[in-house]
Amino acid sequence: MSNKRKAIDIAYQAITYLASSVSLLALSMIVYFVWSNGSGLLNMDLLTKDYHAKYYNGEMVEVGDYSTTLRPSDLDDDIYYSEQYGIGLSDAKDREGNPIILVEYIASDSPMLKLADRNSEDIIALEEGMLISKVAFFDKATALRTFGAEYMVNELDSATDFREIVFTSLGGGIRGSIITTLYLIGMTMAMALPIGVFTAIYLNEFAKKNRITSTLRTLIDTLTGVPSIIYGLMGLAVFVPLTISVTPATSGNLISGSLTLAVILLPVIIKSTEESLKVVPDGLRQASLALGANETQTTFKVVLPSSIPGILTASLLGIGRVIGESAALIFAIGTAVKDDISIFGKSTSLAVHIWSMMTDEPANIELSSTIAIIILMIVLVLNITVKLLSKKFMKPMQ
Amino acid sequence: MNTNTRKKKRVDQIVRSIFLASTLLSASFIIIIVIFIVMKGITPFITDNDGLGVVNIWTFLTGTVWLQGTAFQSNLYAVGFIIVNTLYIAFLSLLLSLPVGVLTALFIAKIAPKRLAEFLRTIVELLASIPSIVYGLFGSGIILTFVYNLAELFGVQSKGGNSVLATVLVLALMTLPTITAVSEVAIRSVRKDIEEGSLALGATRTQTNFKVVLASAKSGIFAAAILGIGRSLGEATAVSLVAGNAKSGPNLGLFDITTTLTSTMLQGLKETTGVDYDIRFSVGIVLMIVILLTNFILNAVKKRVGNVNVK
Repeated sequence: MSNKRKAIDIAYQAITYLASSVSLLALSMIVYFVWSNGSGLLNMDLLTKDYHAKYYNGEMVEVGDYSTTLRPSDLDDDIYYSEQYGIGLSDAKDREGNPIILVEYIASDSPMLKLADRNSEDIIALEEGMLISKVAFFDKATALRTFGAEYMVNELDSATDFREIVFTSLGGGIRGSIITTLYLIGMTMAMALPIGVFTAIYLNEFAKKNRITSTLRTLIDTLTGVPSIIYGLMGLAVFVPLTISVTPATSGNLISGSLTLAVILLPVIIKSTEESLKVVPDGLRQASLALGANETQTTFKVVLPSSIPGILTASLLGIGRVIGESAALIFAIGTAVKDDISIFGKSTSLAVHIWSMMTDEPANIELSSTIAIIILMIVLVLNITVKLLSKKFMKPMQ
Repeated sequence: MNTNTRKKKRVDQIVRSIFLASTLLSASFIIIIVIFIVMKGITPFITDNDGLGVVNIWTFLTGTVWLQGTAFQSNLYAVGFIIVNTLYIAFLSLLLSLPVGVLTALFIAKIAPKRLAEFLRTIVELLASIPSIVYGLFGSGIILTFVYNLAELFGVQSKGGNSVLATVLVLALMTLPTITAVSEVAIRSVRKDIEEGSLALGATRTQTNFKVVLASAKSGIFAAAILGIGRSLGEATAVSLVAGNAKSGPNLGLFDITTTLTSTMLQGLKETTGVDYDIRFSVGIVLMIVILLTNFILNAVKKRVGNVNVK
């Protein structure tokens, strides 16, 4: 081999190394990006809290019922403490950079724990982590959040009573979207699995090899190439009106979403189930039939159990698809993020929640990344499980 | 036949008809999709749209402004420039992802040590399993910034990075794993004797890989490209986050904002009646036709490029 040839070969090889590093680089950048932006918000609170902030409007139940707790020594220096009301407040900025006042600490005997809701008969409580937007007094100017925490604390301590305190829960949780995603997975699977598995059984076990069968197959295969946004249009045109007419729903809803997703999953489930039916040896079927079992018994007791790994793989892939699907659901359900979930109402899956926040002004990249971390973790686990499953079960039977 | 056998036969028949019904249902969905989208999509062209007048199909297909006038008060919709944009972006992204994907596939299949190949294959699988919304998020977080800075370097003020280039990059990333995986299968199915023949004639390993293996896997690689193009044309959410939503075009400059058929469909869906709603289905029909035609043409080209002993 000439030296020149060698040099050229090495150059060519180097190019392939370079090309391969693109995939690695892309994956690491995506993971790094979502982790660096989203990990800060990742905690249990996020999973259990509501997305929308709730507004409260409270007043003192009994004037004179003050806190006697002194300023705790472990409170940070930048927290202003109101001795009379037993609350510690600090200044912070929200995502848009507006000043907010954060409740950092509440004494156990603080009157703020028992406030009368001015909009109802309920007793409401200020909690740590909430935001105070203003405190209005009877005889002096209102302490707004824009004046800062120190001002608000001073005003509170120099007044015996206040007219109202307006505070909000922080919101930004994704409980609603998690529940929606779970609903969607459950309902979609309940619809797509039986139909898909039955179709696969029919095509593989019963259908004659003729033109009608191959037409049916072509029709089903064509579904694979349809982009998900087209499925979304179908959901909007077919399933949304359908569900509105037969259920209490009045708009896109989780049922119409699940129906749409079920259609998307059908070709995946049919393909995967058929693959595993194909490896069931004919001898098993014949033996079962020879022993006096009828077709139904043979199918359900002999053929189907051997294809369980395939069906399981299909289900896991399907769950992954449901979790990641966004375009179809934007049309088939809608993009309104909700906290109270009903299968007859609108709400967003985790993926659509991201889209909804990213198309808002300004886009919420932090929370989007946090949700992306959750989605990526689920998808990763599903993928590894599928890999292990196929390693374990997908050997041809003896 | 005793009653038990007869009963069993009856059960068989019922079960068999349930299976058949499922199959017919599964097969009918593609027909339902086509019928309903076409039915809704042609409404703007055959009705007077609540007094706005019929949408002219010729100007719709060739026009260069998405909507002249205000929504719900005008029938002057057009997607001509959007069709151009969509194809332009899809082919540009293929221009990036095809070479990188094929070289990666070659590396995994032929060059890399076994361990490294297995590792890279897993990486590609993981990339393939990332949902498009995450690519969109990554695009609007990282790629937009990158494009914005790049544009500034060239002295161009881009709209926050939303541009043809950003869209192309996101789509190239998204189609890369598909192209790599399909190309790898094609490369690995190249017959051993072709390779050995080349080596026996004195070509080096690398020469064989590049000149013989890749040439023999041509048809499979082409199939990968067709799949990649299909995915680019139909991708919606990720594109809508980086395209910038141009209202007129065609937008051919790399740093110009743009719009595609899918991102147009996702824009400002508010009402559920009227021409502004129905027109999305028309865009849907156009999208399906564009995808079908592209597939058809590329498949015809693939046939002409020919098979060189690929199983």
